[in-house]
Amino acid sequence: MIAAVKGWPAALSALLFFLPPGATAAEDSNGAARELARKTAKFAGPGDAVMVIWRNVSSLGSSEFAQARAAFEAALKEGGGRLGDAAPAAEAHLTLSENRSQYLLVEEVRKGEERQVWIASWNRTGAPSLTAPAITLAKKLVWEQEEPMLDVAFPAGGILVLSPSKLTFLRGAGAGYPEWVGQSAPFSPVRPWPRDLRGHLRATGATFQAFLPGMVCSGAVDPSLSMDCRASEEPWVLESGSRTLLLAAFAAARNYFDGRVTAQSGVRRTLAPFYSAASVEEQGRTLWLLAMVDGRTQIFDAALQPVATLGAAWGSDIAGTDARCGGGAPVLATQPGDASAPDAVQAFSIVDRAATPLTAPAELPGPVVALWSSGGSAAVAIVRNSGTGKYEAYTITISCS
Amino acid sequence: MRLTPLPSRVRKWHRHSCLCCLLVLGASAATRPHYGGTLRVEIRESFEVPDPPQTGPHLAQLPPAFAPAQWDAPRHAIYSADDKAPGGRPFLDAIEIQMDRRLADQSIDLDLGKADLVEIDATEPRRNPQARNRIWSSSPVRLLLLVFGARIEDPRIREALALAVDRTAIHNVLLQRQGEISGGLLPQWLSGYAFLFPVAQDAARARTLLAAVPPAARTLSLGVPDPALRRIADRIALNARDAGLALSAAPLNSIADLRLIEVRIESPDPSRALAQLAAALALPEPPRADSPEALYAAERALLEGFRVVPLFHLPGVYGVNPRINGGPGITPLGEWRFENLWLEPPRP
Repeated sequence: MIAAVKGWPAALSALLFFLPPGATAAEDSNGAARELARKTAKFAGPGDAVMVIWRNVSSLGSSEFAQARAAFEAALKEGGGRLGDAAPAAEAHLTLSENRSQYLLVEEVRKGEERQVWIASWNRTGAPSLTAPAITLAKKLVWEQEEPMLDVAFPAGGILVLSPSKLTFLRGAGAGYPEWVGQSAPFSPVRPWPRDLRGHLRATGATFQAFLPGMVCSGAVDPSLSMDCRASEEPWVLESGSRTLLLAAFAAARNYFDGRVTAQSGVRRTLAPFYSAASVEEQGRTLWLLAMVDGRTQIFDAALQPVATLGAAWGSDIAGTDARCGGGAPVLATQPGDASAPDAVQAFSIVDRAATPLTAPAELPGPVVALWSSGGSAAVAIVRNSGTGKYEAYTITISCS
Repeated sequence: MRLTPLPSRVRKWHRHSCLCCLLVLGASAATRPHYGGTLRVEIRESFEVPDPPQTGPHLAQLPPAFAPAQWDAPRHAIYSADDKAPGGRPFLDAIEIQMDRRLADQSIDLDLGKADLVEIDATEPRRNPQARNRIWSSSPVRLLLLVFGARIEDPRIREALALAVDRTAIHNVLLQRQGEISGGLLPQWLSGYAFLFPVAQDAARARTLLAAVPPAARTLSLGVPDPALRRIADRIALNARDAGLALSAAPLNSIADLRLIEVRIESPDPSRALAQLAAALALPEPPRADSPEALYAAERALLEGFRVVPLFHLPGVYGVNPRINGGPGITPLGEWRFENLWLEPPRP
């Protein structure tokens, strides 16, 4: 499934790169400096010297400061004024300052007993740039958007993006499709979404299922996006790689699974509430790891009987894969921490009921808000980029060579 | 239900934000927010009212995420999470508020783990708090200022006191350099020009101004409604005496000639904030300003005549129990925003 979308990240990156930048400020520091210089020249009188004292109390750097200063001095000359420290007719104090929305150039100018204050301003612009984090595991950015993202999946011919308000299908560029085109289908939740909303997508061929708290949707992307949603408490399908899965009931008004689970063998159990689940192999036996709500990671056997508690400190989200590394299928885990901390995903193998790191952490540009198995040796990580505030979907693939 | 797809272009989605969604949904982190628990908050303020306040800072900012469940004025209240809150039910089950709690007692309760969130006042001597506790701080939104009553008609007396106050010494010693010295009503971070208002002490000029004032008019009473401000008031009285004013600080009473009070900035819009401050201080309503220069002119007009003498802008500071996650629960304006807070679950 992943192989079919290999070319997308590059195409998407190119698409994002060529987007036009946001609107620029109507005026800049040069304009502000020129405005004040003209007033200063008029105030001082033609040909009279002005002593100018500058300071910078803003967050702007020395180059912007020097630029404003040069613009002021040039405009002062143009306006008939003259800079001079000896016997000046006027003394001007110029301060480069700022408030929450604007930069300010503030001038206090005195000529004899007369004092004037002028303030010229221009809008603050520029968002922090997207920085490319170091890559350790094979991770690829496949989509980003400003609305929160819950999951992405890869049905035939495109990418599905699950957001709180809608499901979006993006069809890839190619023959018959001159550019990336999308279709959306909105959700109408039967009750307000919970605060830490979670959702999960499963795609098979051209069909898909979307699981949301208290709601299940199914549909197809071919010939066009169609979706049928209904209020439902039916369990979510939690895949771990492409071979094992678990059915788990989600607590509709919370952010966790309530503990009612069904294994592939048909065994049903009621466990303690948990956030996520992943299967691993240890010496040929399937084990389930559950990231419990109480912060522990518990190990269960194939019949979902508790076996041990893992000593590792992991985050709330884990995902299983089919990759064959270190003798068994590894598990991907987020790191513990709160929303202010950057996050990472790391691959572990389970040996003697203990977690052994297989890779260095794949650093991500913000907290991982969702991590779902994507089949095969890959998982999807949704990250809220701390720098831009945007939500980014990454595929994280374990390569064992 | 059968849903009809909405064709649109990818580019549109990328460039147009879904602001409402961003506001409604709090993003979780690698450790997911834990539901449950009661946040224990202590504040100095007491409320001698039969019902929970509907306006003003703090308690009135808890709804709609939290609804009053128990109101035992003036000392105790419980607000419980609303399942139908916009953006989803808060993670906390409830907020328990102890009111009318002395600052010193609040600090002790935080250190002992009896409270989760307490106020820390800049004027309190700095204690050695438990290193594990954290601090949440707002921008400097608490304006400390002197407000003259109508009885002091001579502007020379008002200006003399404004010149006599040694703001730097008070800021360095009593406020331990928290917040900002200010001669303006609006803080620098909000206006960008607060430095234009003079703040330097000039005792010589104050004495010159007072020399022409009859001696009987040089005796003033300073009302200090908040005991936490008493030490600052005493220092102002000392500065005043050096300039030739006999100023006696006392708890507020109706005959005080001037008062040392605190008012809060409540809007991130500088023009609105100025209008709100003017209303709170019974000053004339300033004209709506559409530029920093116009705003400066309006603020300067309010300060002419020295009816009010701004001294400092202080942040709202809170001590935070390390078991609280999802913060800060205090906005830059000092508002309470507790709906995304969650408590570390007890370790099994």
